[in-house]
Amino acid sequence: MDPTIEINERVDVIAVYHRQGDIASVCVPCKMRWRGKDIELTELALRHPTVAGKRMIHVFHVSDGTNGYRLEFDAEALIWKLVALIPELP
Amino acid sequence: MKDYRLNTETPLIMHLDLNSAFASAEQQAWPNLRGRPMGVTNRISPECCVIAASYEAKALGIKVGVRRSEAMALCPDFILLETDPTKYTFMYLNLLRIMKSYSPNVKMKSIDEGIIDFHGLGKLTAHDLERIGLDIKEQMRRDVGKWMRLNVGIGPNRFLAKMAASLHKPDGLDVIDHKNVIDMYKSLELEDLTGIADAFGSRLRAHGIYTPLQFLEANDELLRRRVFKSINGLHWYERLRGYEVDDYETHLGMVGRQWVVKRSSNDDDYLRSCMHYLTETTGMKLRYRNVEARGVCVWVRFSMGGGWQDKKMYKSTFYTNQDIWERVSRLFDHRPKHMVVQMIGIYLYQLTPSTRSQMSMFDDVQKADYLTKAMDEINDFYGSFTVFAADTLTGKRNVKQKIPFGGTEYFELLLKRV
Repeated sequence: MDPTIEINERVDVIAVYHRQGDIASVCVPCKMRWRGKDIELTELALRHPTVAGKRMIHVFHVSDGTNGYRLEFDAEALIWKLVALIPELP
Repeated sequence: MKDYRLNTETPLIMHLDLNSAFASAEQQAWPNLRGRPMGVTNRISPECCVIAASYEAKALGIKVGVRRSEAMALCPDFILLETDPTKYTFMYLNLLRIMKSYSPNVKMKSIDEGIIDFHGLGKLTAHDLERIGLDIKEQMRRDVGKWMRLNVGIGPNRFLAKMAASLHKPDGLDVIDHKNVIDMYKSLELEDLTGIADAFGSRLRAHGIYTPLQFLEANDELLRRRVFKSINGLHWYERLRGYEVDDYETHLGMVGRQWVVKRSSNDDDYLRSCMHYLTETTGMKLRYRNVEARGVCVWVRFSMGGGWQDKKMYKSTFYTNQDIWERVSRLFDHRPKHMVVQMIGIYLYQLTPSTRSQMSMFDDVQKADYLTKAMDEINDFYGSFTVFAADTLTGKRNVKQKIPFGGTEYFELLLKRV
């Protein structure tokens, strides 16, 4: 039914900031370490802003080619959080 | 060839429609859902409805409004996600920004479809509009994502532009003008026409009109006096020929809010708090539209079936949250309290333009106005429900922000508050 798994954990992220390009592609998370495991992120599927109260949050939907991940970057605290994932479906 | 008195002007109206908008936005965000039957619902519950279905789901017969249990019976692998309004807001804002870059005459018909009117923007041909349509599709793919597909229809009036946008889903681009409109009518059924559903279809058939072409051939007198028995008949006569009759501002008749209770209950505190929360959002909508109300209606639907409603008209208008809640709570307290409630709603009617700019002779009225204005300003600046009635706290926790399907005014208000 709903395959989303909520995680809500802080993660280490390596992101590439491109010198050129529009806001949709200027910041691209490319690697994430979660629970000691390194995950190569191969696709930035969607980036959109949101807010948590007054705090600006950037939502990045990324994929490693198998699983989908929802990462959130808190622009005030400068932290990355893995909020949810959808694992590979049968 | 028969003279149908068609509008021969260059088609300058463009209708844009995001295909399966919410489902596409989710498939854009989650690559492993692409190509799969999936949909979204406001809140997952055993009997929730699909409010948007992907093309793959639609191909299996899972359409908007289908219940979760029916969808699962049709496709056991069907995936259902809860709505994520921030994604749709992003998608909407991008579409609106792109549309406005081509013309100041842009009107959003709903969160996922809009119209661009190119009249008065220099000499444009249908070919120019086709190129613009392709550009808009490309920009949506670039700025939002490659899974965002857009149907574009171009026509001499809003009706034919919308018809054109529905011809080749998903991702189509069609132009309908006086040269090909007859061929289009020949290929369609009556109910394929936008605005003709079962009731109008039956009415047309009762007068010997079985096809869109026969509808076009019917004279205006027959349509006005016998089929529609109103000015509507004449409007259809013009509309089918490509003349504009749908470019008007709709009259605001009521504002309101309804909610399917998260846990069906007859707990008075819980229901009152949720109703109070709905009242505050309704007050917010009322003031955003710059109107005041004289009538209030409160209604309830019970889990066992059936419902209850009560309404009241007042001599003077009201618009503050306190005034609305005072009236709503008085009505709400009269409901049969032993019954378990499944759905609650409120609407305000008999709306008149706001008179708030006029000073009141009475001090307390003036104070209430200042307080409301100050609260609205704080909420505008810091976000919705920064300041709210303490009584609505339970409601605020339980009632989710809804996705508005009809007009976009409430949606624009939410965006302003964000």
